[in-house]
Amino acid sequence: MSDAFCKSSAEKYRYINRFSAEYPEKLQEIKNPPAGIYVKGRLPDPTKPSVAIVGSRICSQYGRLAAEEFGSVLAKNGVQIISGLARGIDVIGQNAACDSGGSSFGVLGCGINVIYPKQNAEVYKKVEESGGLISEVAPDAPPIGAQFASRNRIISALCDVLLVIEAKERSGSQITVQRALEQGKDVFALPGRIHDVCSAGCNRLIAQGAGIATEPEAILSLFGIYKDTGNSTSDSNKYGREKLEKIEKRVYENIDFYPVSLDEIVSKTRMSIQEVINVLFHLQMKGYVSEVAKNRYVKTKL
Amino acid sequence: MYYRVSSAALNGLEAAIVNVEADVSDGMPMMELIGYLGSEVKEARERVRTAMKNSGFSLPPRRITVNISPAGIRKQGTAFDLSIAIALLGCLGCIADNAAQEMLIIGELGLDGKICPVQGVLPRVLKGMEMGYRLCLVPIENLKEASMAGNIKCIGISSLSQVYRYLNNEEILEPVASVPLKACKSSQAYPDFSDVKGQKGMKRCLEISAAGGHNLLMIGTPGAGKTMAAKRLPGIMPPLKEDEILELTKIYSVAGSLPPEGVVVNRPFLAPHHTCTPQAMSGGGVNPKPGLVSLAHKGVLFLDELPEFRSETLETLRLPMEEKIINISRCGMNYTYPANFLLVAAMNPCKCGYYPDTSRCRCNENDVKKYTGRISGPLLDRMDMMISAEEIGFEELNSEERSESSERILQRVLQAKERMNYRFIGNAVKTNAEMGNNEIIKYCILGRKEKLLMKEAFTKLRLSSRSYHKILKVSRTIADIAGYEEIKEEHLIEALAYRRSEFF
Repeated sequence: MSDAFCKSSAEKYRYINRFSAEYPEKLQEIKNPPAGIYVKGRLPDPTKPSVAIVGSRICSQYGRLAAEEFGSVLAKNGVQIISGLARGIDVIGQNAACDSGGSSFGVLGCGINVIYPKQNAEVYKKVEESGGLISEVAPDAPPIGAQFASRNRIISALCDVLLVIEAKERSGSQITVQRALEQGKDVFALPGRIHDVCSAGCNRLIAQGAGIATEPEAILSLFGIYKDTGNSTSDSNKYGREKLEKIEKRVYENIDFYPVSLDEIVSKTRMSIQEVINVLFHLQMKGYVSEVAKNRYVKTKL
Repeated sequence: MYYRVSSAALNGLEAAIVNVEADVSDGMPMMELIGYLGSEVKEARERVRTAMKNSGFSLPPRRITVNISPAGIRKQGTAFDLSIAIALLGCLGCIADNAAQEMLIIGELGLDGKICPVQGVLPRVLKGMEMGYRLCLVPIENLKEASMAGNIKCIGISSLSQVYRYLNNEEILEPVASVPLKACKSSQAYPDFSDVKGQKGMKRCLEISAAGGHNLLMIGTPGAGKTMAAKRLPGIMPPLKEDEILELTKIYSVAGSLPPEGVVVNRPFLAPHHTCTPQAMSGGGVNPKPGLVSLAHKGVLFLDELPEFRSETLETLRLPMEEKIINISRCGMNYTYPANFLLVAAMNPCKCGYYPDTSRCRCNENDVKKYTGRISGPLLDRMDMMISAEEIGFEELNSEERSESSERILQRVLQAKERMNYRFIGNAVKTNAEMGNNEIIKYCILGRKEKLLMKEAFTKLRLSSRSYHKILKVSRTIADIAGYEEIKEEHLIEALAYRRSEFF
């Protein structure tokens, strides 16, 4: 299926060189702008605010949910979401933005006709329709490591604010942060728990003076956008647990954004395994909990 | 001078009565053995000649011919030595003409005339009993095993000269009374479940497995205690019935791996290393011996580190798991061995063993997929239940609280088994796991509430029709353990938690 998609849209890309009027001004300003870019769909609108949501490929449920929330709330409020369409945080944030009707732009590390990783074919399509795909390498170039590092400068150049959701101490996101700081952009990071390797990079950024992304409003207010509280998704989630029964709460309290095993819940709640399984099933059916690996459960709501 | 005695040849698990004929006549001094013999049988010539000399009988320098008939079936093994020697004694006139009639003679000779134990005594004695023989002479070491046959007298012998004296009525040897199978006790007790701390999910799954015969896959971090728990599984399975003991002892006798007490009383637990070859698994050799699948008959075959097994080895399991027997064809012969085992497998969730714990796991998503992808789909399809286990915490490790003992779990299993036995009277199906579509329709009836629940689960958890049926079968067992005739919501929910999930 992904092959078919590649072919059908193969003719649609445009090449915009550095001296073209269409070439984004934001790219012109950086130290080493690309000589030209290949584009499918459109380029980010310079008059609208844009935020880059980046993070690691292997992410926790906490990162997943945060990327979804920030992606969708920001996009709903007219912010363009830019990212690298990589596995993990990138694609989650962009998918959420597309799903909530906003526009998103993917800056690729491979050729514009190449879908990498293949599983993301569907999101590629959504991003192309809502916004556009951008790449500086030849249209059929395979995904090579070094290209991914250098495309990060384009991501940071195109955005106004860089938001790091989850990053380890050493990761690709740190390169993007470096570039963003050189280019004078604001950097926000999602705070995580200490000792959590997935959040170590973010916590360090905060220590170094990055903005603390406690809620999407923190970023929206930078752009002078004040969200009306009526249609927020997060609010309804936050108070949803009031609807749970007592026994369900007892189990739910022991579930986190990090996978918790069945045995752990049993020993913490001091309930019988049959009871716990029963409650977990109902929580799953109600959409509060999901099973991310065999008998490992996480919260699905922030 | 002609003399004839009876012995038995083995073909797989079945024995056939053979006649050992000897003739001494004029001609060039020689001794020839004929009758489609394997090389071990041909070597008997030297063993018999020397053993006879050292027991005080010298063979005359004449033409000696020994034939084992019917000459059309292949004879293998060393169990014919003694019968050849006695046939020769008869030819030489050392024993009376009818002294060795109506008896089955089994045994290997040492050069000094001692009688050594042989493999596969029980199937031969059983065949002798079936064919109406009144007496069996067996090596003294094999006597216990032989006496299990029941309605046939067995005499244990230790040397050729002792047999000579017995046949000439110079020494009286009493046949042993056969030991009732019920009274057979094993020298080894099963390890107990009370030693396993925590791991409630895993223990519960093993209990359901033991009751309903459902194959189980355990996934967990290294050191979670998967092997420890699996080893205790035979202890919560119902004790072996008499016919099962007999069948197992036959298999172990043919394989030459009987325990010291001569009878298999414990349910087997086999945990082969992952370097095991397909031949070792299925049974192999020119004259195929039972493989691991047959040695695990009526017991547990435990495969630790499942993805490390060679795929050809695992593929050999597919047919036995379906048909409960294994057919091996070698050298123009077909051998059939029973292979009705419970498969319990264990594996790590990924190469490093800690997925999905992101703080410890070093694998990326692709690594995890590659690791779990090593197991073939058809084999995974045969796993009825799946449970994850992880290391237990310090508090649990040090808690004084004793876990439930095997004895108590066994009580519940037996109760469930009783329900199953009643349900499947007159049916070829004996356990819930073996139920086919017809039985599922008949015995896994869901109420209105239960149907609604399964409908919701089916769409929300994206079940396949195959996994749906497995869940019904497992829930049937859970209901049996709880003592319910109808499957309730909580039984279905519990079965759903142990289903094979989409992560595999």
